[in-house]
Amino acid sequence: MNAIETRDLTRYYGTLCAVNGLTLSVDHEVFALLGPNGSGKTTTVLMLTTLLHPTSGSAEVCGHDIVRDGKQVRRCLSYVPQDMAVDIKLTGRENALLFARLYGVADANDRVDEVIGVMGLTDRADDLVKTYSGGMRRRLELAQALVHEPAVLFLDEPTLGLDVAARSTIWEHIRALKKDGMTVFVTTHYMDEADRYCDRVGIISRGTLVALGGPSALKARLGKDVITAQIDGDFKDPRIDGITFFALANNEASFLAENGREALPLLADALTKSGVKVRSLALREPTLDDAFLHAVGTPEEPAGFDQTKFRTMLRRRK
Amino acid sequence: MRGVVYYIQRDFLRWVRGSVAVFSALVMPAAWLIFVGLALPIRFTDNYLDFITPGILVMTMLSAGLSGGTLLMFDKILGFLNKFLALPSPREDILFGKILFVSIRGLIQSTVILIIAVLIGASVYNPLQYGLTYLILFLFGMLIAAFATTIALYLEDHDSFAAVNTMIAMPLFFTSSALMPYNVMPVWLRTLAELNPLSYAIDAIRAVNTGVLPFVQIAALIALCLIVTVVSVHVFRRVTV
Repeated sequence: MNAIETRDLTRYYGTLCAVNGLTLSVDHEVFALLGPNGSGKTTTVLMLTTLLHPTSGSAEVCGHDIVRDGKQVRRCLSYVPQDMAVDIKLTGRENALLFARLYGVADANDRVDEVIGVMGLTDRADDLVKTYSGGMRRRLELAQALVHEPAVLFLDEPTLGLDVAARSTIWEHIRALKKDGMTVFVTTHYMDEADRYCDRVGIISRGTLVALGGPSALKARLGKDVITAQIDGDFKDPRIDGITFFALANNEASFLAENGREALPLLADALTKSGVKVRSLALREPTLDDAFLHAVGTPEEPAGFDQTKFRTMLRRRK
Repeated sequence: MRGVVYYIQRDFLRWVRGSVAVFSALVMPAAWLIFVGLALPIRFTDNYLDFITPGILVMTMLSAGLSGGTLLMFDKILGFLNKFLALPSPREDILFGKILFVSIRGLIQSTVILIIAVLIGASVYNPLQYGLTYLILFLFGMLIAAFATTIALYLEDHDSFAAVNTMIAMPLFFTSSALMPYNVMPVWLRTLAELNPLSYAIDAIRAVNTGVLPFVQIAALIALCLIVTVVSVHVFRRVTV
Protein backbone atom coordinates (compact mmCIF):
# COMPACT_ATOMS: atom_id res chain seq x y z
CA MET A 1 0.00 0.00 0.00
CA ASN A 2 1.38 3.37 -1.00
CA ALA A 3 1.00 6.35 1.30
CA ILE A 4 -0.62 8.39 -1.48
CA GLU A 5 -2.37 6.89 -4.47
CA THR A 6 -4.40 8.95 -6.94
CA ARG A 7 -6.31 7.71 -9.97
CA ASP A 8 -7.46 10.12 -12.61
CA LEU A 9 -8.00 12.80 -9.95
CA THR A 10 -9.83 15.73 -11.54
CA ARG A 11 -11.22 18.98 -10.22
CA TYR A 12 -13.18 21.66 -12.06
CA TYR A 13 -14.01 25.14 -10.75
CA GLY A 14 -17.02 25.88 -12.91
CA THR A 15 -15.68 25.36 -16.41
CA LEU A 16 -12.04 25.87 -15.42
CA CYS A 17 -10.16 22.60 -15.11
CA ALA A 18 -7.75 23.06 -12.17
CA VAL A 19 -6.50 19.48 -11.97
CA ASN A 20 -6.84 17.16 -14.92
CA GLY A 21 -6.64 13.36 -14.60
CA LEU A 22 -3.81 13.18 -12.08
CA THR A 23 -2.55 9.64 -11.53
CA LEU A 24 0.26 9.35 -9.01
CA SER A 25 1.78 7.06 -6.38
CA VAL A 26 3.92 8.49 -3.60
CA ASP A 27 5.46 6.46 -0.80
CA HIS A 28 8.25 6.95 1.75
CA GLU A 29 9.94 9.78 -0.07
CA VAL A 30 10.05 13.53 -0.33
CA PHE A 31 7.88 14.23 -3.33
CA ALA A 32 7.56 17.71 -4.83
CA LEU A 33 4.74 18.83 -7.03
CA LEU A 34 6.33 21.53 -9.16
CA GLY A 35 4.54 24.08 -11.19
CA PRO A 36 4.00 27.79 -11.79
CA ASN A 37 1.37 29.74 -9.84
CA GLY A 38 -2.12 28.60 -10.73
CA SER A 39 -1.06 25.26 -12.16
CA GLY A 40 -3.20 23.19 -9.75
CA LYS A 41 -0.70 22.38 -6.99
CA THR A 42 -2.75 23.72 -4.11
CA THR A 43 -5.97 22.26 -5.49
CA THR A 44 -4.31 18.84 -5.53
CA VAL A 45 -3.20 19.22 -1.92
CA LEU A 46 -6.66 20.44 -0.85
CA MET A 47 -8.21 17.33 -2.36
CA LEU A 48 -5.69 14.97 -0.76
CA THR A 49 -6.21 16.60 2.65
CA THR A 50 -10.02 16.21 2.31
CA LEU A 51 -10.66 19.96 2.18
CA LEU A 52 -12.10 19.74 -1.33
CA HIS A 53 -13.96 17.00 -3.13
CA PRO A 54 -12.68 15.90 -6.54
CA THR A 55 -15.03 16.38 -9.49
CA SER A 56 -14.09 12.91 -10.68
CA GLY A 57 -11.45 10.27 -10.12
CA SER A 58 -10.35 9.00 -6.72
CA ALA A 59 -7.45 9.06 -4.30
CA GLU A 60 -6.36 7.20 -1.21
CA VAL A 61 -4.13 8.34 1.61
CA CYS A 62 -2.77 5.46 3.73
CA GLY A 63 -5.34 3.21 2.10
CA HIS A 64 -8.34 5.39 3.04
CA ASP A 65 -10.53 6.94 0.38
CA ILE A 66 -10.40 10.75 0.57
CA VAL A 67 -14.14 11.15 -0.07
CA ARG A 68 -15.65 8.20 1.85
CA ASP A 69 -13.25 7.93 4.82
CA GLY A 70 -12.36 11.58 5.36
CA LYS A 71 -11.87 11.18 9.09
CA GLN A 72 -9.48 8.20 8.73
CA VAL A 73 -7.53 10.15 6.12
CA ARG A 74 -7.22 13.15 8.46
CA ARG A 75 -6.04 10.86 11.25
CA CYS A 76 -2.91 9.86 9.35
CA LEU A 77 -1.91 13.18 7.77
CA SER A 78 -0.85 16.67 8.72
CA TYR A 79 -1.32 19.70 6.55
CA VAL A 80 0.60 22.97 6.61
CA PRO A 81 -1.01 25.50 4.24
CA GLN A 82 1.00 28.32 2.72
CA ASP A 83 -0.70 31.10 4.72
CA MET A 84 1.51 30.82 7.86
CA ALA A 85 -1.49 30.56 10.17
CA VAL A 86 -0.16 30.63 13.73
CA ASP A 87 -1.80 32.65 16.51
CA ILE A 88 0.49 35.58 17.18
CA LYS A 89 -1.11 36.36 20.54
CA LEU A 90 -0.36 32.86 21.78
CA THR A 91 3.05 31.51 22.75
CA GLY A 92 4.76 28.90 20.62
CA ARG A 93 3.99 26.27 23.23
CA GLU A 94 0.30 27.24 23.37
CA ASN A 95 0.05 27.03 19.59
CA ALA A 96 1.53 23.52 19.56
CA LEU A 97 -0.46 22.41 22.61
CA LEU A 98 -3.74 23.38 20.90
CA PHE A 99 -2.98 20.98 18.07
CA ALA A 100 -1.74 18.21 20.38
CA ARG A 101 -5.04 18.40 22.29
CA LEU A 102 -7.17 18.57 19.17
CA TYR A 103 -5.38 15.50 17.83
CA GLY A 104 -6.05 13.78 21.15
CA VAL A 105 -2.35 13.07 21.76
CA ALA A 106 -1.94 11.07 24.99
CA ASP A 107 0.86 12.97 26.78
CA ALA A 108 0.21 16.32 25.14
CA ASN A 109 2.63 18.34 27.26
CA ASP A 110 5.57 15.95 26.85
CA ARG A 111 4.96 15.56 23.16
CA VAL A 112 4.83 19.33 22.69
CA ASP A 113 8.14 19.73 24.53
CA GLU A 114 9.61 17.10 22.24
CA VAL A 115 8.51 18.57 18.89
CA ILE A 116 9.40 22.08 19.98
CA GLY A 117 12.85 20.74 20.82
CA VAL A 118 13.16 18.99 17.47
CA MET A 119 12.32 22.24 15.69
CA GLY A 120 14.89 24.12 17.78
CA LEU A 121 12.35 26.43 19.45
CA THR A 122 12.84 25.39 23.10
CA ASP A 123 14.47 28.70 24.10
CA ARG A 124 11.60 30.73 22.70
CA ALA A 125 8.73 28.34 23.43
CA ASP A 126 7.10 30.63 26.00
CA ASP A 127 7.43 33.84 24.01
CA LEU A 128 4.47 35.19 22.09
CA VAL A 129 4.59 34.19 18.42
CA LYS A 130 4.30 37.91 17.62
CA THR A 131 8.04 38.10 18.35
CA TYR A 132 8.97 35.16 16.07
CA SER A 133 10.69 35.53 12.70
CA GLY A 134 9.18 34.04 9.54
CA GLY A 135 11.44 31.01 9.68
CA MET A 136 10.56 30.37 13.31
CA ARG A 137 6.84 30.63 12.58
CA ARG A 138 7.23 28.07 9.82
CA ARG A 139 9.14 25.76 12.14
CA LEU A 140 6.39 26.20 14.73
CA GLU A 141 3.87 25.14 12.09
CA LEU A 142 5.96 22.04 11.42
CA ALA A 143 5.98 21.35 15.17
CA GLN A 144 2.18 21.65 15.20
CA ALA A 145 1.96 19.25 12.29
CA LEU A 146 4.26 16.70 13.94
CA VAL A 147 2.60 16.46 17.36
CA HIS A 148 0.57 13.39 16.39
CA GLU A 149 3.31 11.65 14.38
CA PRO A 150 1.53 11.62 11.01
CA ALA A 151 2.35 9.06 8.32
CA VAL A 152 1.99 11.65 5.57
CA LEU A 153 2.89 15.32 5.76
CA PHE A 154 1.52 17.83 3.24
CA LEU A 155 3.41 21.10 2.93
CA ASP A 156 2.09 23.79 0.61
CA GLU A 157 4.97 26.09 -0.42
CA PRO A 158 6.89 25.53 2.84
CA THR A 159 9.69 27.97 2.04
CA LEU A 160 7.67 30.79 0.50
CA GLY A 161 8.85 34.17 1.75
CA LEU A 162 11.73 32.84 3.85
CA ASP A 163 15.39 33.86 3.63
CA VAL A 164 18.08 31.49 2.38
CA ALA A 165 19.19 30.26 5.81
CA ALA A 166 15.62 29.63 6.98
CA ARG A 167 14.89 27.76 3.77
CA SER A 168 17.73 25.32 4.14
CA THR A 169 16.79 24.74 7.80
CA ILE A 170 13.24 23.86 6.78
CA TRP A 171 14.52 21.50 4.11
CA GLU A 172 16.91 19.80 6.52
CA HIS A 173 13.99 19.15 8.84
CA ILE A 174 11.98 17.73 5.94
CA ARG A 175 14.84 15.40 4.99
CA ALA A 176 15.14 14.25 8.61
CA LEU A 177 11.42 13.45 8.74
CA LYS A 178 11.71 11.32 5.63
CA LYS A 179 14.57 9.44 7.23
CA ASP A 180 12.23 8.62 10.12
CA GLY A 181 9.90 6.95 7.62
CA MET A 182 7.47 9.78 6.89
CA THR A 183 6.11 10.47 3.44
CA VAL A 184 6.39 14.17 2.65
CA PHE A 185 4.37 15.75 -0.14
CA VAL A 186 5.55 19.27 -0.94
CA THR A 187 4.42 21.82 -3.47
CA THR A 188 6.83 24.48 -4.59
CA HIS A 189 7.83 26.62 -7.50
CA TYR A 190 11.47 26.79 -6.48
CA MET A 191 13.19 24.39 -8.90
CA ASP A 192 16.60 24.52 -7.23
CA GLU A 193 15.14 23.45 -3.89
CA ALA A 194 13.22 20.59 -5.46
CA ASP A 195 16.38 19.53 -7.28
CA ARG A 196 18.48 19.51 -4.17
CA TYR A 197 16.14 18.09 -1.54
CA CYS A 198 13.45 15.95 -3.20
CA ASP A 199 13.57 12.28 -4.15
CA ARG A 200 11.09 12.64 -6.97
CA VAL A 201 9.31 15.52 -8.62
CA GLY A 202 6.14 15.77 -10.64
CA ILE A 203 5.84 18.73 -12.97
CA ILE A 204 2.31 20.03 -13.32
CA SER A 205 1.20 22.55 -15.93
CA ARG A 206 -2.35 23.81 -16.34
CA GLY A 207 -3.59 20.97 -14.15
CA THR A 208 -1.90 18.20 -16.11
CA LEU A 209 1.08 16.14 -14.95
CA VAL A 210 3.64 16.59 -17.74
CA ALA A 211 6.74 14.94 -16.27
CA LEU A 212 7.51 12.63 -13.37
CA GLY A 213 10.74 11.21 -12.02
CA GLY A 214 13.85 11.86 -9.99
CA PRO A 215 15.45 15.28 -10.55
CA SER A 216 18.60 13.77 -12.05
CA ALA A 217 16.59 11.45 -14.33
CA LEU A 218 14.54 14.38 -15.58
CA LYS A 219 17.71 16.37 -16.30
CA ALA A 220 19.42 13.39 -17.93
CA ARG A 221 16.45 12.93 -20.23
CA LEU A 222 17.26 16.31 -21.78
CA GLY A 223 20.63 15.19 -23.18
CA LYS A 224 24.01 16.78 -22.71
CA ASP A 225 24.25 20.54 -22.85
CA VAL A 226 21.96 23.49 -22.55
CA ILE A 227 22.69 26.71 -24.43
CA THR A 228 20.86 29.89 -23.54
CA ALA A 229 20.96 32.94 -25.78
CA GLN A 230 20.08 36.49 -24.75
CA ILE A 231 18.61 38.03 -27.86
CA ASP A 232 16.95 41.16 -29.23
CA GLY A 233 14.46 41.01 -32.06
CA ASP A 234 11.92 38.55 -33.43
CA PHE A 235 13.10 35.05 -32.68
CA LYS A 236 12.63 32.20 -35.18
CA ASP A 237 13.89 28.65 -34.56
CA PRO A 238 17.04 28.45 -36.79
CA ARG A 239 16.60 24.61 -37.13
CA ILE A 240 20.18 23.34 -36.99
CA ASP A 241 20.94 19.60 -36.87
CA GLY A 242 21.87 18.52 -33.36
CA ILE A 243 20.49 21.69 -31.74
CA THR A 244 16.92 21.64 -30.46
CA PHE A 245 15.10 24.78 -29.45
CA PHE A 246 12.83 24.24 -26.44
CA ALA A 247 11.88 27.45 -24.73
CA LEU A 248 11.71 31.21 -25.11
CA ALA A 249 11.11 33.43 -22.12
CA ASN A 250 11.95 37.09 -21.47
CA ASN A 251 14.14 37.33 -24.59
CA GLU A 252 16.08 34.28 -23.53
CA ALA A 253 16.01 31.35 -25.95
CA SER A 254 17.04 27.92 -24.66
CA PHE A 255 18.47 25.10 -26.77
CA LEU A 256 19.61 21.54 -26.19
CA ALA A 257 22.75 20.39 -27.94
CA GLU A 258 24.58 17.07 -28.20
CA ASN A 259 27.92 18.85 -28.26
CA GLY A 260 27.64 22.30 -26.75
CA ARG A 261 31.10 23.62 -27.63
CA GLU A 262 30.68 22.93 -31.31
CA ALA A 263 27.11 24.15 -31.32
CA LEU A 264 27.92 27.60 -29.93
CA PRO A 265 29.46 29.22 -33.08
CA LEU A 266 26.90 27.53 -35.36
CA LEU A 267 24.07 28.89 -33.29
CA ALA A 268 25.54 32.40 -33.10
CA ASP A 269 25.88 32.54 -36.90
CA ALA A 270 22.44 31.16 -37.57
CA LEU A 271 20.76 33.53 -35.15
CA THR A 272 22.55 36.58 -36.56
CA LYS A 273 21.63 35.50 -40.09
CA SER A 274 17.97 35.27 -39.14
CA GLY A 275 18.11 38.96 -38.19
CA VAL A 276 18.28 38.58 -34.42
CA LYS A 277 20.86 40.43 -32.37
CA VAL A 278 22.67 38.02 -30.01
CA ARG A 279 23.70 39.78 -26.82
CA SER A 280 25.20 36.78 -25.05
CA LEU A 281 25.46 33.02 -25.21
CA ALA A 282 25.90 30.66 -22.28
CA LEU A 283 26.71 26.99 -22.15
CA ARG A 284 25.84 24.92 -19.06
CA GLU A 285 24.63 21.62 -17.73
CA PRO A 286 20.87 21.06 -17.67
CA THR A 287 19.06 22.19 -14.50
CA LEU A 288 15.61 21.27 -13.30
CA ASP A 289 14.50 24.64 -14.68
CA ASP A 290 15.36 23.37 -18.16
CA ALA A 291 13.55 20.10 -17.53
CA PHE A 292 10.59 22.18 -16.40
CA LEU A 293 10.62 24.50 -19.42
CA HIS A 294 11.09 21.52 -21.68
CA ALA A 295 8.06 19.79 -20.20
CA VAL A 296 5.84 22.84 -20.02
CA GLY A 297 6.96 24.32 -23.36
CA THR A 298 6.54 28.04 -22.78
CA PRO A 299 6.03 29.37 -19.29
CA GLU A 300 2.51 29.75 -17.95
CA GLU A 301 2.27 33.51 -18.42
CA PRO A 302 4.12 34.21 -21.66
CA ALA A 303 2.27 37.50 -22.15
CA GLY A 304 3.28 38.71 -18.70
CA PHE A 305 6.06 41.02 -19.76
CA ASP A 306 7.23 41.58 -23.31
CA GLN A 307 10.22 43.87 -23.38
CA THR A 308 10.03 44.72 -27.08
CA LYS A 309 6.38 45.68 -26.87
CA PHE A 310 7.07 47.62 -23.70
CA ARG A 311 9.82 49.65 -25.41
CA THR A 312 7.67 50.39 -28.44
CA MET A 313 4.93 51.51 -26.14
CA LEU A 314 7.27 53.82 -24.26
CA ARG A 315 8.55 55.33 -27.50
CA ARG A 316 5.02 56.04 -28.69
CA ARG A 317 4.19 57.85 -25.51
CA LYS A 318 6.97 60.42 -25.98
CA MET B 1 -17.00 17.60 22.25
CA ARG B 2 -13.59 18.17 23.88
CA GLY B 3 -12.54 20.02 20.76
CA VAL B 4 -15.14 22.70 21.55
CA VAL B 5 -13.40 23.41 24.85
CA TYR B 6 -9.99 23.72 23.18
CA TYR B 7 -11.30 26.06 20.49
CA ILE B 8 -12.96 28.20 23.20
CA GLN B 9 -9.70 28.29 25.17
CA ARG B 10 -7.83 29.47 22.08
CA ASP B 11 -10.30 32.28 21.36
CA PHE B 12 -10.40 33.24 25.04
CA LEU B 13 -6.61 33.59 25.27
CA ARG B 14 -6.54 35.64 22.08
CA TRP B 15 -9.30 37.87 23.46
CA VAL B 16 -7.82 38.63 26.89
CA ARG B 17 -4.45 39.37 25.30
CA GLY B 18 -6.08 41.71 22.80
CA SER B 19 -5.92 44.64 25.28
CA VAL B 20 -7.95 47.33 23.42
CA ALA B 21 -10.69 44.99 22.20
CA VAL B 22 -11.55 43.90 25.75
CA PHE B 23 -12.73 47.43 26.57
CA SER B 24 -13.79 48.81 23.21
CA ALA B 25 -16.72 46.39 22.96
CA LEU B 26 -18.10 47.86 26.20
CA VAL B 27 -17.94 51.51 25.18
CA MET B 28 -21.01 51.53 22.95
CA PRO B 29 -23.48 49.87 25.35
CA ALA B 30 -22.06 51.81 28.32
CA ALA B 31 -22.50 55.07 26.40
CA TRP B 32 -26.12 54.21 25.58
CA LEU B 33 -26.79 53.33 29.17
CA ILE B 34 -25.31 56.53 30.57
CA PHE B 35 -26.10 59.11 27.91
CA VAL B 36 -29.51 57.86 26.88
CA GLY B 37 -30.55 55.99 30.01
CA LEU B 38 -29.71 58.83 32.35
CA ALA B 39 -29.94 61.92 30.22
CA LEU B 40 -32.97 61.51 27.94
CA PRO B 41 -35.69 63.77 29.37
CA ILE B 42 -38.40 61.21 28.60
CA ARG B 43 -40.34 59.39 31.25
CA PHE B 44 -42.25 56.49 29.69
CA THR B 45 -42.05 54.73 33.02
CA ASP B 46 -41.19 55.65 36.60
CA ASN B 47 -37.54 54.68 36.17
CA TYR B 48 -36.31 54.94 32.57
CA LEU B 49 -32.95 53.45 33.51
CA ASP B 50 -34.69 50.27 34.70
CA PHE B 51 -36.66 50.26 31.46
CA ILE B 52 -33.71 50.70 29.12
CA THR B 53 -31.23 48.37 30.91
CA PRO B 54 -32.69 45.11 29.49
CA GLY B 55 -32.52 46.71 26.03
CA ILE B 56 -28.83 47.63 26.49
CA LEU B 57 -28.01 44.15 27.80
CA VAL B 58 -29.58 42.61 24.73
CA MET B 59 -27.72 45.14 22.55
CA THR B 60 -24.46 43.98 24.19
CA MET B 61 -25.34 40.39 23.34
CA LEU B 62 -26.28 41.41 19.80
CA SER B 63 -22.86 42.86 19.02
CA ALA B 64 -21.16 40.00 20.89
CA GLY B 65 -23.07 37.44 18.80
CA LEU B 66 -22.35 39.24 15.53
CA SER B 67 -18.63 39.23 16.39
CA GLY B 68 -18.77 35.42 16.09
CA GLY B 69 -19.11 35.92 12.35
CA THR B 70 -16.11 38.28 12.30
CA LEU B 71 -13.96 35.77 14.18
CA LEU B 72 -14.92 32.92 11.88
CA MET B 73 -14.32 35.13 8.84
CA PHE B 74 -10.79 35.92 10.01
CA ASP B 75 -10.07 32.25 10.70
CA LYS B 76 -11.27 31.58 7.18
CA ILE B 77 -9.23 34.21 5.35
CA LEU B 78 -6.06 33.75 7.43
CA GLY B 79 -5.90 30.00 6.79
CA PHE B 80 -6.70 28.78 10.33
CA LEU B 81 -9.99 27.24 9.23
CA ASN B 82 -8.28 25.02 6.67
CA LYS B 83 -5.76 23.86 9.24
CA PHE B 84 -8.53 23.02 11.70
CA LEU B 85 -10.63 21.30 9.03
CA ALA B 86 -7.71 19.00 8.19
CA LEU B 87 -7.73 17.70 11.77
CA PRO B 88 -9.42 14.39 12.69
CA SER B 89 -11.42 16.00 15.54
CA PRO B 90 -15.10 16.62 14.64
CA ARG B 91 -15.32 19.58 12.28
CA GLU B 92 -18.53 20.95 13.80
CA ASP B 93 -16.57 21.60 17.01
CA ILE B 94 -15.05 24.61 15.24
CA LEU B 95 -18.50 26.10 14.72
CA PHE B 96 -19.87 25.24 18.19
CA GLY B 97 -16.68 26.55 19.76
CA LYS B 98 -17.17 29.92 18.03
CA ILE B 99 -20.87 30.19 18.90
CA LEU B 100 -20.32 29.28 22.54
CA PHE B 101 -17.24 31.48 22.91
CA VAL B 102 -18.93 34.66 21.70
CA SER B 103 -22.02 33.90 23.78
CA ILE B 104 -19.95 33.44 26.93
CA ARG B 105 -17.91 36.53 26.10
CA GLY B 106 -21.21 38.41 25.66
CA LEU B 107 -22.33 37.33 29.13
CA ILE B 108 -19.08 38.63 30.63
CA GLN B 109 -19.57 41.95 28.86
CA SER B 110 -23.22 42.05 29.95
CA THR B 111 -22.13 41.60 33.55
CA VAL B 112 -19.99 44.72 33.32
CA ILE B 113 -22.90 46.64 31.80
CA LEU B 114 -25.21 45.35 34.54
CA ILE B 115 -22.79 46.54 37.23
CA ILE B 116 -22.55 49.98 35.62
CA ALA B 117 -26.36 50.13 35.47
CA VAL B 118 -26.69 49.34 39.18
CA LEU B 119 -23.95 51.85 40.04
CA ILE B 120 -25.79 54.67 38.25
CA GLY B 121 -29.10 53.86 39.88
CA ALA B 122 -30.85 50.83 38.34
CA SER B 123 -32.82 48.58 40.68
CA VAL B 124 -31.26 45.47 42.15
CA TYR B 125 -33.17 42.19 41.68
CA ASN B 126 -32.97 38.82 43.38
CA PRO B 127 -30.56 36.04 42.29
CA LEU B 128 -33.28 33.99 40.60
CA GLN B 129 -34.22 36.97 38.46
CA TYR B 130 -30.59 37.50 37.46
CA GLY B 131 -30.25 33.79 36.72
CA LEU B 132 -33.21 33.91 34.35
CA THR B 133 -31.89 37.11 32.78
CA TYR B 134 -28.59 35.37 32.04
CA LEU B 135 -30.41 32.37 30.57
CA ILE B 136 -32.37 34.63 28.24
CA LEU B 137 -29.25 36.58 27.25
CA PHE B 138 -27.35 33.35 26.59
CA LEU B 139 -30.09 31.92 24.36
CA PHE B 140 -30.27 35.19 22.47
CA GLY B 141 -26.47 35.32 22.08
CA MET B 142 -26.41 31.77 20.69
CA LEU B 143 -29.17 32.67 18.24
CA ILE B 144 -27.32 35.73 16.90
CA ALA B 145 -23.93 33.96 16.86
CA ALA B 146 -25.31 31.00 14.90
CA PHE B 147 -26.90 33.42 12.46
CA ALA B 148 -23.70 35.51 12.07
CA THR B 149 -21.44 32.48 11.54
CA THR B 150 -23.80 31.20 8.85
CA ILE B 151 -23.54 34.52 7.01
CA ALA B 152 -19.74 34.53 7.44
CA LEU B 153 -19.50 31.05 5.92
CA TYR B 154 -21.36 32.23 2.85
CA LEU B 155 -19.43 35.47 2.29
CA GLU B 156 -15.97 35.69 0.74
CA ASP B 157 -14.21 38.53 2.53
CA HIS B 158 -14.28 40.55 5.71
CA ASP B 159 -15.48 43.78 4.09
CA SER B 160 -18.74 42.24 2.98
CA PHE B 161 -19.28 40.72 6.38
CA ALA B 162 -18.67 44.07 8.07
CA ALA B 163 -21.21 45.62 5.69
CA VAL B 164 -23.84 43.01 6.56
CA ASN B 165 -22.98 43.50 10.21
CA THR B 166 -23.71 47.24 10.23
CA MET B 167 -26.70 46.73 7.98
CA ILE B 168 -28.27 44.40 10.54
CA ALA B 169 -27.25 45.76 13.95
CA MET B 170 -28.71 49.28 14.08
CA PRO B 171 -32.07 48.61 12.35
CA LEU B 172 -32.65 45.57 14.57
CA PHE B 173 -31.98 47.62 17.68
CA PHE B 174 -34.18 50.56 16.71
CA THR B 175 -37.11 48.39 15.62
CA SER B 176 -37.13 46.52 18.93
CA SER B 177 -38.80 47.38 22.22
CA ALA B 178 -35.42 48.47 23.65
CA LEU B 179 -36.04 52.22 23.85
CA MET B 180 -39.79 52.67 24.32
CA PRO B 181 -42.83 50.70 25.44
CA TYR B 182 -45.24 49.36 22.81
CA ASN B 183 -48.04 51.75 23.81
CA VAL B 184 -46.15 54.87 22.75
CA MET B 185 -44.90 53.41 19.43
CA PRO B 186 -46.51 54.31 16.12
CA VAL B 187 -48.54 51.37 14.79
CA TRP B 188 -46.07 50.46 12.03
CA LEU B 189 -43.17 50.38 14.48
CA ARG B 190 -45.19 48.32 16.94
CA THR B 191 -45.77 45.65 14.31
CA LEU B 192 -42.04 45.51 13.51
CA ALA B 193 -41.11 45.47 17.18
CA GLU B 194 -43.44 42.59 17.94
CA LEU B 195 -41.82 40.48 15.22
CA ASN B 196 -38.25 41.41 16.16
CA PRO B 197 -36.40 38.65 18.06
CA LEU B 198 -34.59 41.34 20.06
CA SER B 199 -37.96 42.25 21.56
CA TYR B 200 -38.53 38.64 22.66
CA ALA B 201 -35.38 38.78 24.73
CA ILE B 202 -35.95 42.35 26.01
CA ASP B 203 -39.60 41.70 26.92
CA ALA B 204 -38.63 38.46 28.61
CA ILE B 205 -36.06 40.19 30.83
CA ARG B 206 -38.55 42.95 31.69
CA ALA B 207 -41.12 40.31 32.61
CA VAL B 208 -38.58 38.55 34.81
CA ASN B 209 -37.83 41.85 36.54
CA THR B 210 -41.52 42.34 37.38
CA GLY B 211 -41.70 38.81 38.76
CA VAL B 212 -43.37 37.07 35.80
CA LEU B 213 -41.92 33.94 34.18
CA PRO B 214 -41.93 34.63 30.41
CA PHE B 215 -42.62 31.11 29.09
CA VAL B 216 -43.66 32.18 25.61
CA GLN B 217 -40.62 34.34 24.88
CA ILE B 218 -38.15 31.79 26.27
CA ALA B 219 -39.78 29.00 24.26
CA ALA B 220 -39.66 31.18 21.14
CA LEU B 221 -35.97 31.94 21.72
CA ILE B 222 -35.14 28.24 22.23
CA ALA B 223 -37.03 27.29 19.07
CA LEU B 224 -35.35 30.03 16.98
CA CYS B 225 -31.96 29.16 18.42
CA LEU B 226 -32.37 25.48 17.50
CA ILE B 227 -33.57 26.24 13.98
CA VAL B 228 -30.75 28.70 13.21
CA THR B 229 -28.11 26.39 14.72
CA VAL B 230 -29.31 23.48 12.58
CA VAL B 231 -29.16 25.72 9.50
CA SER B 232 -25.68 26.91 10.49
CA VAL B 233 -24.38 23.34 10.92
CA HIS B 234 -25.93 22.39 7.59
CA VAL B 235 -24.29 25.33 5.79
CA PHE B 236 -20.99 24.62 7.56
CA ARG B 237 -21.01 21.00 6.36
CA ARG B 238 -21.87 22.08 2.84
CA VAL B 239 -19.21 24.76 2.40
CA THR B 240 -16.44 22.74 4.05
CA VAL B 241 -17.29 19.54 2.08
